[in-house]
Amino acid sequence: MNAPLPEEIPRIQKAISVLWPSFATAIVATGLFFSAFNPRDLIPFNLDIDISPLAAYSIGFFIFWLLAIVSSYGTLYFTISNCRFLKRQQGN
Amino acid sequence: MQAQPTENPDKALYAAHQKIYPREVEGHFTRLRLLSFIALLGFYYAMPLVQWEGRQALLFDLPARKFYIFGLTLWPQDFIYLAALLILAGLSLFFFTALLGRVWCGYACPQTVWTEVYLWMERKIEGNRGKRMKLDKAPNSAAKIRTKAIKHTVWIAFSLWTGFTFVGYFTPIDELGTKLFTGNLGPWETFWILFYSFATYGNAGFMREQVCLYMCPYARFQSAMFDSDTLIVAYQPERGEPRGSRRRGTDLKQAGLGECIDCNVCVQVCPTGIDIRDGLQYECIACSACIDGCDAIMDKMNYPRGLIGYTTENAALGNPQHILRPRVMVYAAILLLLCGSLVTHMLQRIPLELDVIRDRNTLYRETRDGLIENVYTLKILNMDSKPHRYILSADGIDGLKLVLDDADIKVDAGTVQQYIARIQADEFNMESRSVSIRFHLQADDANHLSTTEEARFVGPGKN
Repeated sequence: MNAPLPEEIPRIQKAISVLWPSFATAIVATGLFFSAFNPRDLIPFNLDIDISPLAAYSIGFFIFWLLAIVSSYGTLYFTISNCRFLKRQQGN
Repeated sequence: MQAQPTENPDKALYAAHQKIYPREVEGHFTRLRLLSFIALLGFYYAMPLVQWEGRQALLFDLPARKFYIFGLTLWPQDFIYLAALLILAGLSLFFFTALLGRVWCGYACPQTVWTEVYLWMERKIEGNRGKRMKLDKAPNSAAKIRTKAIKHTVWIAFSLWTGFTFVGYFTPIDELGTKLFTGNLGPWETFWILFYSFATYGNAGFMREQVCLYMCPYARFQSAMFDSDTLIVAYQPERGEPRGSRRRGTDLKQAGLGECIDCNVCVQVCPTGIDIRDGLQYECIACSACIDGCDAIMDKMNYPRGLIGYTTENAALGNPQHILRPRVMVYAAILLLLCGSLVTHMLQRIPLELDVIRDRNTLYRETRDGLIENVYTLKILNMDSKPHRYILSADGIDGLKLVLDDADIKVDAGTVQQYIARIQADEFNMESRSVSIRFHLQADDANHLSTTEEARFVGPGKN
């Protein structure tokens, strides 16, 4: 197998492969979510929270980004651990 | 197309990055690209300043949840139009890729456009390719640090302007400007301006071609839209090979040489650092810098231009060429269909919405005259840019009576108003316990502004 060991992939490339697709996904998710729901209608129990729309959209975006990061990181993690496993098997 | 195999292609992809110093180039296609860049950047920076009917012509007003596109106002309910527009943009990309190859990458992609701007600034401050390479290799000195500091200051200033303009598409830019100069920018506005500025600075100043190589999804799948008639940038090996240096005026046949003088200009001008003579590669963004670079050399050597040029696989192989082929026609057909239906829908769109909510607390009540009465809350949304008075009517049951608490229905532009409506009907005219009725809403000053909404009318039921 010519593929590089997971350790050989620069950390920056791993970081980008997690951060970047999740960023794009978060933009789409934020757009879909907030076109269906007005942040004003989402404040539970008539709590008196004064939050600007821009802040609500921004926080929503970061929540989506975080969720997508978790998912992307999971993919990366399993890919790398499978890769290590295969290498070990080949080595034996 | 011949490709020279590298020693270990998988490893090569992960090799440490080498900074690319694209050499400046002049020529026909470079001028064409410059024209495109000026038009696109001009649009980007000037568009938020354009006014239309007293407000920003293009404004995606997030706080107000309204998108203004010239005379058109889109509400969250109109999300479908935005989705259709995005699909349209995607399909256009497919269509133009099938026809013209990666013309998007070379001439219009924001990554390319801003990279070229930042390169241009770099060139003005640090000098040409040779000077830039020398400067980077040189040990730190006051002069080097000063040059670098000037470059980064200019880059950051330009990035901040870019970020400010970006946020200006989402909150009115004149307000944003006032807030900026009075120091009243909100925390999130500040954050997004800095975020977008940083992204521009990083992408156009540092990452550059690496975005195309490692991060761009389009670069990976664009080849799926390619066929043998797609426009590509290619080198003619049968004309150029065997390559080699020679004096001007050397007899090619005698020397046993092709027309490529192996001057490496095509490699030096390439923003992604590849050698086009190795054949079609996915790193090639079809920016045509190598075409202009090579043509200039061909002119100097008195050889015909076009050793590197736009061509198609079929043209290069001498096969018949087809512009209209099934792939292009299918993309075009879908594009036209979608465009047509979008425009039709937009033209037929009625900027008026009526929501009818039946009072859930009481099913019905009996009036003093012995009629059955149901109560409804009507939400009237006027999406037009003008206020309107409306006439409400209802039908569905013989002899049905509509009673309004407030008979004068007037809704301002871009607002929602609630009205209470009572429907009274004779029990004997109802065919069953629950009957469907219809509310009609009609603007009194515009015929086309009308809408109908169904609701249920509930009575005691026939015994």
